[in-house]
Formats: sequence, structure tokens, C-alpha cells
Amino acid sequence: MLGGLVAGAGIAVGRPSFATLLTVARRPAETFTLGNGLQVIVLPSRRAPIVTQVLIYKVGGADEVVGRTGIAHFLEHMMFKGTATLGPGEFSKIIARNGGRENAFTDFDITGYHQTIAADRLEMVMRMEADRMANLRVVEKELTPERQVVLEERRMRTENVPSSLLDEAVREQLFGRNKPYGMPVSGYVDDVKRLGAGDLAAFYKKHYAPNNAVLIVAGDTDPDAVRKLAERYYGPLAKKPIEARRRPSSGGTDLPQRVIRADARVVEARWGRDYLAPSYRVGETRHAYALSVLARLMGGSETSRLWRALVSDRKVALSASADYGASSLGLTSFGFDAHPARGRTVTEVERAVADQTKKLLDDGVTAEEVERAQNRLLAQAIYAQDSLSSGPRIYGAALSTGGTVADVDDWPRRIAAVTPSDVLAAARHVFRDDGAVTSVLTPVEGAK
Amino acid sequence: MTARVVLAAVLAAVLAVLSIAPAAAIDIKQVTTPLGIKAWLVEDKSVPVINLSFSFEGGSALEPEGRKGVTSLMALLLTDGAGSLAGPAFKQRAEDSEVALGFGASLDRLSGSLRVLSANRGEGFELLRLAMIEPRFDPEMVEQRRAQALSNVNQAGQRPATVAGRVMMTTVFAGHPYAADTEALRAGLKSVTVDDLKARAADLLSRSSLVIAAVGDIDAAELSRQLDRAFGALPANPAPPEAPQWKAEIRKRTIVIERPVPQSTVQIVMPGIARNDKDWYAAFVMNHILGGSGLGSRLTTEVREKRGLTYGVSSGLRVYKKASLLAISTASANEKVAEAVRVIRAEIARLRTDGVTAEELADAKTYLTGALPVSLDSSGSVASLLYSLQIDGLPPDHLDKRSALISAVTAEDVRRVARRLLRDDSAITVVVGKPVGLPPEP
Repeated sequence: MLGGLVAGAGIAVGRPSFATLLTVARRPAETFTLGNGLQVIVLPSRRAPIVTQVLIYKVGGADEVVGRTGIAHFLEHMMFKGTATLGPGEFSKIIARNGGRENAFTDFDITGYHQTIAADRLEMVMRMEADRMANLRVVEKELTPERQVVLEERRMRTENVPSSLLDEAVREQLFGRNKPYGMPVSGYVDDVKRLGAGDLAAFYKKHYAPNNAVLIVAGDTDPDAVRKLAERYYGPLAKKPIEARRRPSSGGTDLPQRVIRADARVVEARWGRDYLAPSYRVGETRHAYALSVLARLMGGSETSRLWRALVSDRKVALSASADYGASSLGLTSFGFDAHPARGRTVTEVERAVADQTKKLLDDGVTAEEVERAQNRLLAQAIYAQDSLSSGPRIYGAALSTGGTVADVDDWPRRIAAVTPSDVLAAARHVFRDDGAVTSVLTPVEGAK
Repeated sequence: MTARVVLAAVLAAVLAVLSIAPAAAIDIKQVTTPLGIKAWLVEDKSVPVINLSFSFEGGSALEPEGRKGVTSLMALLLTDGAGSLAGPAFKQRAEDSEVALGFGASLDRLSGSLRVLSANRGEGFELLRLAMIEPRFDPEMVEQRRAQALSNVNQAGQRPATVAGRVMMTTVFAGHPYAADTEALRAGLKSVTVDDLKARAADLLSRSSLVIAAVGDIDAAELSRQLDRAFGALPANPAPPEAPQWKAEIRKRTIVIERPVPQSTVQIVMPGIARNDKDWYAAFVMNHILGGSGLGSRLTTEVREKRGLTYGVSSGLRVYKKASLLAISTASANEKVAEAVRVIRAEIARLRTDGVTAEELADAKTYLTGALPVSLDSSGSVASLLYSLQIDGLPPDHLDKRSALISAVTAEDVRRVARRLLRDDSAITVVVGKPVGLPPEP
């Protein structure tokens, strides 16, 4: 495949050197591990006198149990509510007073905290982040109003948004009700209402530890400086016994399923289909890189197969896309999304997508479209170097889902190695009715 | 074919990574090309990428009669085929050389952006030239974009925050060209013809009102060459007509738009302050203390932290060419939104009456002086800054003076500007949802 690429270009660069170039297209990362198990990654960039610290915990919504959903996310909120030595809200006040930016996020496999600040304040943010790794105080007085904040966040992101409610219903079918990835990260409302300070403190105690975290520092610093500071502030924190994280190797039962949400708030219908898919970690993982290429060529832009067929040629849709994310500790999904054109139905859209998947399965993909998709993915890796936040995001996602620094650094080469027959094999593996949930979002008949 | 360009780009990327440039403060160069095109440039070789932000005078506020929406539609279509490249062929060529090129319209300006790997810059600037000089406006693409634009108008009606923003613009700017009018937009989008689109492009794509910011792996001489290639053939049109200055008169009222959602979205808007007002920095500091970014503002403390009434509440100074606003936004459960609005109004009154503490003032200054350099973490963000400095009419050395201007703000300055701006008697409140205990006040 690479040979074809280079020969087709007619330039005198040998195959091996192209492969070598790909492996170093991303900035080299320095990595080391402290005695207590905290893994540290340093991504130096001298372009501006600023640094970003990202602390990733290897825990998320998919590590919760039935009846206690939303706990990882709620705890993330409480991490700003004080430690033994810092008052509630002080962490954020100090960051702001120093001109810094900060935030935090919770996903299915990962909880992250990040600050960007002047390079000479790195020590300060490392001291404070290390402090709340071990010394958080979860008190009822702070928990009570914050529970309402968490519920307001869920209203804003989910309950006010019909498509988000549909996504939750799709996940319940695809990954299984009450199973990891089938339960919402923001938690079911009744669960969030029941969670107490004791629940959060126990979850914190169980999962927040140096040997269950990855520290990533990017920007105007160097590995020696980061090592010294990490030893000083994170080094003294005690290691904890951490249970192995479990993820099911199967998804929902009784697939295929069809989920329809008729909602008075919806004006324009949407059609979607999600297939259970392997990730880098679970399932037929050998397909993961080919699936990334497949998603690109099938629905990654306006030149993709789906867009050309549904939007440009047949005009049954106003938009059409495909989506796949391989960074998951468990199974993941490969999704299609399309928006029917005026006067066209979701049935017509569904049929047009089915035609395209059949065509792909019957005829395979061309070397040229695979090459285009690969180039696009590789260029993204170069553009990603242009921002201080993207490096930590990429390493954080990989390392919290069982990947290694080497996996990240080798990613361009593995993408470049995908062949048209790999793509076809991956498509055959994933496009199966017994792994599919079809979803329809539609206006209520007669509603505005 | 495609691989040549990209392989060269990857090679360049690698070489650049191996020779990382030393740290440097932002050094803004003013470039004037042989053809007289002017641009601001920050050369930055740390990543093999070039970012260009540019715009032309004339936007969606003042459009030909019955043709509302023509500017945005035209902007989209500039990259939907140009020269001999019909529709998808243009997009394909841009993708093949990893060029991201797009145009859009705001109320006052038609803007564009180009992002390209420096090794592919020739192709990037050539596609930019084609898009502006030889756009095709093929009927098939026009119909596709028209249908998408009409659908976007419908979908915007599904999102409470968008509805609140639109209703606010309609109300606050009633009688002024900035007023949003969904029905006029629908009608305009439906009736726009290919000739209308061509005429609009010819009117606005002009060298006379061009503002350009460039950041990245390109030097002044090469930028000059590329700018002349891309923009050199544009005509020098007379300036398009301007909207009249908005008369900042608002009658206090509350508008409720019923929607079947569990959470109500709120906007509270008052007249704001012009960017060139002598009290701008006092207002900037005041706004930060009231509801600026981060978790420490008064509104966040009172509405979110203490009472748990919202996930987010913030205030901001909005500046348009002919108007300015101070806008506060939040969202709260239908049953609690009345309390959230009450607390916000109380905080507005408290700041107006009592001013700010010395500690709040000092904290705001260290944040506002420190936050700008921290935000410059990509060439795109530097390009945006360079661009907005020019739009605001500020000199290239403004960044050297900015900290001193912020630091000079006194508590008395903040008090004065708070009395001037925080006027509950001239605030419009828009609520979208099913609010309990928050009746409309006509």
C-alpha cells in the first residue's frame, strides 16, 4: 500500500523513509513513572511561555454500578470544593488570580483535570493538583447545592436536548441496559438525587491514587524540571491497591433494535444507525485502525461516499456522516447519521445508506480513496501539534484506555499500513444486523 | 497526484519538529505588498502551519431588499466550486492538499479563514484566489446550500439558547438593521437567485475594506507574494452602505417564549459600551467581577455555588460596529428560574450601589492581564487576536500597553461605569421554557 502511494506520486523517496517519517510526524513524548506508580508524560513546546497540566484518572462513568450512576461526574464537581488546607472554590480562585484557565471533564473511561497557566506557575498548579489527589474533603454542606448544579448540567446537556435523550436510549440498547456505556455519564436523575457524601468519598478513596493516574505536562518546560516537581509534590502520595477495570466483551441483547423518539420539540427528523464495534482494547481489535480509515472515507467530509451519494447525487439528505472512536476500554460504536431532505423520509434515507453499505461490502474500496482517508488522518496529526491542548488529549485518551505511549507514537504508521482489503474486512465485521441499533428522531405528528 | 503534496508536507512537518524555534514574545510585523495589500503577520516556525484570518466590510445586517440571508449563502458557496472546479471537485482539491478554507458572514463583515501546511501554501493561496475571483455559483450547489440553510433556520428553532438569542436581537434592535427577523430570512433564502449571489459577492469582495491577519510558518516576503496572488485581482469598490448608529434606548420588559423543556434559558441585556470609550477598561474589569470567565465571579458565586440554581451563568460585553450590549446568560430549572433571575438582578443592583472591593479589583486585574498570553496556545488563537486588534482599530503595539491600561483602573472607575451601565430600568429579559413565577412584563 505504501509502495503504491509513493510510486503513484512518482517521487524518489523510498518506502522505508516514508514509514519512518510517519512515525515521527508527531512530537516525541518523554515519559517516566514515579515510585508510587504515577505515569508522567512531558510534551515540550517553546512557542509561548505557558504550560498545560492535565491529570487523568483511569476511572469514569463506565466504572459505576447500577443505582449509583453519575458518581464519577459528581465527584469531578466536588474536586473543586476544598481539601484539608484549601477552602471551597479556593482552587479556582487561585488559578484565576494567576491568569490561568482550568476545567475538568468526565467520560466513560476517564476523568480529567486541566489548567493552562504562565510557565513559572507550573509548580503552583502541580502542588494544588497533587493536594486534591489525596486530601479532598467531601462535606454535605457543599454537596447539597452542587447536586443541584449537576442536575442543572444534565438538564442543559440532555433533558433539554431531544437528540441527547435519543442517544441515551440508543446506548441502552447497543451496550445493554445497566451495563457499562449503556448508563449515562451524567447519571440517572434518581441516582444523582440519592448519592451522599459517603458514596462520593468512598469512590474517591477507591479510584483516586497516583498509580491510577497519568500526569501530562505540555508547553514551555522540560522533562527534568517536570520530574523534579512531580517527585516533590506527587511523589510522597501513597500507592493504593487498584482493582482491575472490567468491561463486557458483548453488547446489548436482542439486537438489532430500533429506537424512535417522537418529540414535540423536534422540527426536522434525523436518522441514525450505530453498530457495536471493536476498540483498540476489546473485540476484534485488529480492525480498529481500518475502521478509522473506513469512517473517514465513508462519511468524514463532503467528499465522502455517503455525502456524495445521499446529498450530492440522490438528494435524499441534507447531510450524512460516519463516526468511529477507537479509544475505549470496552466495545465502542461505529455510527451513521443523516438528515433527510425536505419532502424525503427517514425510510428513503435508511435505504440509501443501506445501498451504500451493500455497495461497499460487495465491491470493496479503492486504493485511492483509502490513501486519501489516510492522508487526511495523518494531516490531522500534524495540525494537532498546533495546539497545546491536543497532545495531552491524545495521550490522555490512550493511556486511560489501556494504551501506551508507544501506541500513540506509532499511530501514524499503523494508519498508513491499512490496506483496502483491511478496510473491507473491517466493514464486513462491523456492518452486521445483529450488532445494530437504528434510531429515528422525529417531530410529533401535527406538533409545531 | 495527491500523494506528492502530502508527502512533502509530512517531510516539512518532521523537519520543523526537529528544529523547534526558541520562545519569543509576539512580534507583529505590518506587511504591505507590492500591490498595496496590507496585513499583520506573526511569524512562528514552531509548527509547519499557516493560519490566515481576513474580512471585508459589509455583512448580513444590510442586505438588498427581500434578499435576507444572501450574504451568508454567498459566503458558503464561495468554496462550492470555482474556476474549472465544479462543486465537489473544489472541495476534493482542497482536501487533497489539506487546505481548510471557509467564509462566513457576521452582521457587519464578510470573513474568511485559511489554514494550510506551509509546504502546501501555494495551493492554499491559489484556492483562496479561485474562491474569491472565480466562484461558480452552480445552480445545483445553490439549491443544496439553500435547502441546508433553510433547515438550519428550522433547527435553530429547536434550541432554547438559540431562540433566546434570536428573540433578544429582534427585541433590543427593533427598527435597526441588526434586528433578527426569521420570517424575512426564510423568505429571503427562498427567493435568492444566482444573480443575487453573484452581485453580492461582487459588492463585498473588495480590496478597499480588507483586513488580514497571518500567523505561522511564513515570512513577510513570501506572505506578500501569496497575498498579491490571492487578493491582488480584487476590485477596489466604494465602501458598502453602513447601518445607522443604534440609539441605546431600551424599555424594561420581560419576554417569555413558551417551549416544552424542563429548563428555562435566560438572557438579560442592557446597553453596553463602545470599544473606543475611555471607560472601556473599567467596564472590562467590572464585567469580569460581575460574571466574567472562570468560577470566581459574583454571579457564579451567588447563583451557582451558593444556591445551585444553574450550571452556568455569565456576563459579557458585546461590541458591534454600530452598537454595544452588556449581556447576561443563564439556564435554570423551570421551577427555579424566577429565583435565579431575582438573584442576578440583586447582584446587578449591589454592584451598581456598592461597587467592588479592593481584593476583587486586584484579582480581576491579575486575571485579565495574565489570561491573554495564556490564551495564545495555537496559531489560530494568535491569528484571531491579530485580526480583532485590527477590527478594534488598535495599533500593533497595543499588547505592550494593555496591561498598564488594565492596571490603571481604580475602584472609583468601576463604580462610575457600573452606575452608567448596570441599569435594571433599561434591561430586557428573555426567557425560553416554561418558567414558573416569572410572568411577562410588557
